[in-house]
Amino acid sequence: MNLKDLAYWFNDFWTEFRREKSGLIGLAILATAVLVVVFEPLILPFKGAAASWRNINYWEDNSPNAPPVWTNLLPGKDSAVTGTIKPARVSEATIEGGAVATTWEFEYVYQYDLPPLDLIMHLRATGNLTFQMTLQRPDGKSILLSQASEHGLANGTIRMAATAYGRDACFAFLKQYENADRVGILTSSDMKVTDIAFAEAKEGMFDNPVAQKGKYRILVTAIGNAGTDKVESCEIIVAGRVSGLLGTDNLKRDLFSGIVAGLKWALLIGLFVSFVSVIIGVMYGIIAAYFGGMIDKTMMFIYYIVNSIPVLPILIVFSAVFKPSLMTIIWIMIIFSWTGSVMTVRSMALQIKEETYIEAARALGSGHARIIFKHMAPLLIPYSFASMALSVPGFIVFESSLSLLGLGDPTIVTWGAILHDAMLGNAMLNGVWWWIIPPGLLIAIMGMTFAFLGFAMDKILHPKLRTR
Amino acid sequence: MNDNDKASDVILTVENLKKHFTPHAGLLASLGGPKRVIRAVDGLNFSIRRGEIFGLIGESGSGKTTTGKMVMKLIDPTSGTIVFNGEDVTSIHRQRLQAYRRRVQMIFQDPYASMNPRFKIREVLEEPLVIHRISADRRKRGEMIIKALNEVKMNPPEDYMGRFPHMLSGGQRQRVATARTLILNPMMLVADEPVSMIDLSTRAEILHMMKDVQRDLGLTYLYITHDLSTARYFTDRIAVMYLGRIVEMGPAEEVIDNPIHPYTRALIQAVPEPVTGQVETIKELAISGEIPSPANIPPGCRFHPRCPFAKPECSGQAEPELMDAGKGHFHACRRWKEIG
Amino acid sequence: MDKILEVKNLKLYYHTSKGTVKALDDVTFDLFKGETFGLVGESGCGKTTTGTALLRMPTPPGRYDGGQIVLDGRDIIDLPENDVRKHIRWEKISMVFQGAMNCLTPVYTVGKQMLETLQEHREMEKVQAEELIREYLELVGLPPEVMGRYPHELSGGMKQRIVIATALFLKPDVVILDEPTTALDVIVQAQIINLLKKLKKTFNLSFIFITHDLALEAEVSDRICVMYAGKISELGTNGQIFGGHPAHPYTEKLLSATPLLHKKVDTLSFIPGAPPDLIDPPTGCRFHPRCHKVIDVCREKEPELKEIGTGHMAACWRCGE
Repeated sequence: MNLKDLAYWFNDFWTEFRREKSGLIGLAILATAVLVVVFEPLILPFKGAAASWRNINYWEDNSPNAPPVWTNLLPGKDSAVTGTIKPARVSEATIEGGAVATTWEFEYVYQYDLPPLDLIMHLRATGNLTFQMTLQRPDGKSILLSQASEHGLANGTIRMAATAYGRDACFAFLKQYENADRVGILTSSDMKVTDIAFAEAKEGMFDNPVAQKGKYRILVTAIGNAGTDKVESCEIIVAGRVSGLLGTDNLKRDLFSGIVAGLKWALLIGLFVSFVSVIIGVMYGIIAAYFGGMIDKTMMFIYYIVNSIPVLPILIVFSAVFKPSLMTIIWIMIIFSWTGSVMTVRSMALQIKEETYIEAARALGSGHARIIFKHMAPLLIPYSFASMALSVPGFIVFESSLSLLGLGDPTIVTWGAILHDAMLGNAMLNGVWWWIIPPGLLIAIMGMTFAFLGFAMDKILHPKLRTR
Repeated sequence: MNDNDKASDVILTVENLKKHFTPHAGLLASLGGPKRVIRAVDGLNFSIRRGEIFGLIGESGSGKTTTGKMVMKLIDPTSGTIVFNGEDVTSIHRQRLQAYRRRVQMIFQDPYASMNPRFKIREVLEEPLVIHRISADRRKRGEMIIKALNEVKMNPPEDYMGRFPHMLSGGQRQRVATARTLILNPMMLVADEPVSMIDLSTRAEILHMMKDVQRDLGLTYLYITHDLSTARYFTDRIAVMYLGRIVEMGPAEEVIDNPIHPYTRALIQAVPEPVTGQVETIKELAISGEIPSPANIPPGCRFHPRCPFAKPECSGQAEPELMDAGKGHFHACRRWKEIG
Repeated sequence: MDKILEVKNLKLYYHTSKGTVKALDDVTFDLFKGETFGLVGESGCGKTTTGTALLRMPTPPGRYDGGQIVLDGRDIIDLPENDVRKHIRWEKISMVFQGAMNCLTPVYTVGKQMLETLQEHREMEKVQAEELIREYLELVGLPPEVMGRYPHELSGGMKQRIVIATALFLKPDVVILDEPTTALDVIVQAQIINLLKKLKKTFNLSFIFITHDLALEAEVSDRICVMYAGKISELGTNGQIFGGHPAHPYTEKLLSATPLLHKKVDTLSFIPGAPPDLIDPPTGCRFHPRCHKVIDVCREKEPELKEIGTGHMAACWRCGE
């Protein structure tokens, strides 16, 4: 088939394909998925998600097990949303002794019922410095959340969390307003820092805190020597109770980032493995059936051997010896799964081989290759596509089973790995549904997408199914 | 055979052609006893003249289709020779086989089954051109397809090229199947029951078309059928096969009007005729039973167990060869003079 | 002769998404005791549909849309399915379906399959039933040993005999035979035809013989009904149809398209075109687009089936000429 014929054929195919609604839906989902993969860097809220999925430090500023942001839309109390605040204003003041105080002013409009879990300040600094973080509440009161000095920094990062540094200041604040009898029996560790910091200052604020809504200001001051000491990129992270489009898991990882980063692996593993293994299986089956005799017998013998090798023990041994990487996992899956379609294809091919038009093609002078590729393989395309479509989710699940056994590639994040973590993290028991449903649903949707595509192609490539 | 005087006129000669199948037996069965052999074709001799329509008549199990497939080189004979146009084609391969297939083409019984249902008519007809690399130019191929469709009176051809086989009627499909064979300009066509799947009302139309094409292009046909009536109408000479051998051969009219072999007689007798007055009569059938299995061919004359004229000599002596009864009429019955 | 079955204005329509297919339209005929009634026509003209309609089992989505099938003075169209199964189907009317001989179950012996059919309808001891089966096997010319055989061990002719025997078990009045010899060789076909003639005489049976082969109808049928596009175009005795003067141009054409064994013809005639799509049949006479005797009225008005001789009916505007 030359290029012109191919174009002609494709044009024909497309005219027909356009009429298949389910096929178009499948194609649309697949196209969306491909776009997401292409524009992944733009879409990822956490740019380093893919590279640092298993790096706990990377995720330390998030809240654990936070539901998705849009759960605020549901009836019930609204929760503070996780986010990063950039400084609204920066001012410098020289104080006695030649020191310079740099102050970053952050604004945080708090309008939720439930306060954030933490306020975390980040900056980079060089030299010997003293830091201060003060929360100015809408009611005019203020709390000194933290104060610390650092020496000998060389462009080092400073992280100050209100819950860690501001406990005593908050407890003092609480004592100031809460009923003395109630406070008398408490210690600072009984109290949640942010509950107090964001509550109306009045009696009963410990037991029934009422959200003090309004505009909060957070002042971060760094005092150091002018000229030698340097401070930059100061920002505040509000660790809310709801986080991101799909929430976080128990290790504070943003699930949306994980799922977006996992999509390309899902597509790669699913498509590549199913494509290669089905193609191998289909060709193997056709060739065995077409030539028959000794060729068939030998090929079936090999098939039985491969098919009866227990995959898991082999994989366990394999992973003990080698360090599993994505490519090795893919090739192992192919090596052990191409047999899946051989028997069905062989029996179908044995039937097709007996068709009169195969004989007619031979009578016309067709060679083996032409009969196999032009007459037999196209008949098995619908089956191949259905088989590919159906095995895509299977391979995604297979990959996650490998992860479960510790045989997954530890350097990447896959949907299977996310589900696997959810299982280990008892997501089901803890009601962390956003950890399970999205990856599960997406595996199902990817499967459905390929099934839709498969069925639509089946209809077009199988004229007997046509209604016209 | 009496064809020697016009040897150049002979296009196909089949000599002592045999095809024996050995079915796969179980392990135990293959250990003991002789192998079961199915003698589908068992010593066939005939030749076809250039430009003639030669009919091979037989019931199912007579080996007529196997013969067609051997001539078509779709299966290899067990022994014997096939000579086409002066060339021994019994065991040719590759290029020579490819060249042979440009000269000899086949029309199958079921036109629908003989076309890939996924191919449009254009692709069906394009296939031989692509296989034999007749033209690399798509437009030129299109012209040749149109010409072939015109030859089989599919008008206008452009209307049909984009259709699938299942969108055509039985008669149209057989026309397309014929067009596919004609596109390579063959010298001979093997037609295996080309009209048996087609409605009676259009059967004649297809036979007409095939005859016209044969006349126009000077083709030779090997027409394989079980139907004596169409054979008489369509063929010049016929050969009647029984259990893998020819029992009678000659000009169609001669064989049908003056059959010699008891089997031919029985066959002709059994054909129903559209004339009134037969309802009350039970037709006298000279022979009883059915054709035996080719795995178990009777000794001597293979027809003797069913033959009303059989004598001990028929089973005891060697199988009779084809004998000349004059006027190009051959038969294989040793008692033909006695049974008149 | 006694009328055994009367079909009056039978209409059977398929209501499909594309429209109504008038598979049978106003089919009217009588069947007499002891006669063979032939139904003939091209494929798709309603022969088999008539057969299954008489058995009260139209192929889905076919529905009766009027008319009567009177058997023993009773219209069976509106009978409840249970009654039909108990008293009509196989008891009064049985059918040998096309290709039935290839539908024998390969895993049971022939005897077991026949026994099952029999015990479905009659309560009888196994010994008795087997005796009856043996009797019927003998009747169709088979030795009793075939009871223990599996279908693949039997030839086509033998299988067809078994199917015929099974259709006769319950002593029905009418047996419908749908292309009973199509897949058989000529000699076997002749044997089966002879068998049918013998059975008809012995039991005074009535056959409805469906085939596309006119020559075969000439041999077996006392009366022949030629159908075209779901309608009867001609109905007459064997002599009227095959005696050289058929009334309808369609019959005429079908006859001249049948190749004759003992006559050399230079050109056979054929009917151009194909039977119409029954969703949208041609106006007027349904045969007019293919007819060689068409006149203006044929295109506009549909001809009625009218009597043109004793027991000879035809639906053609030009019959009287």
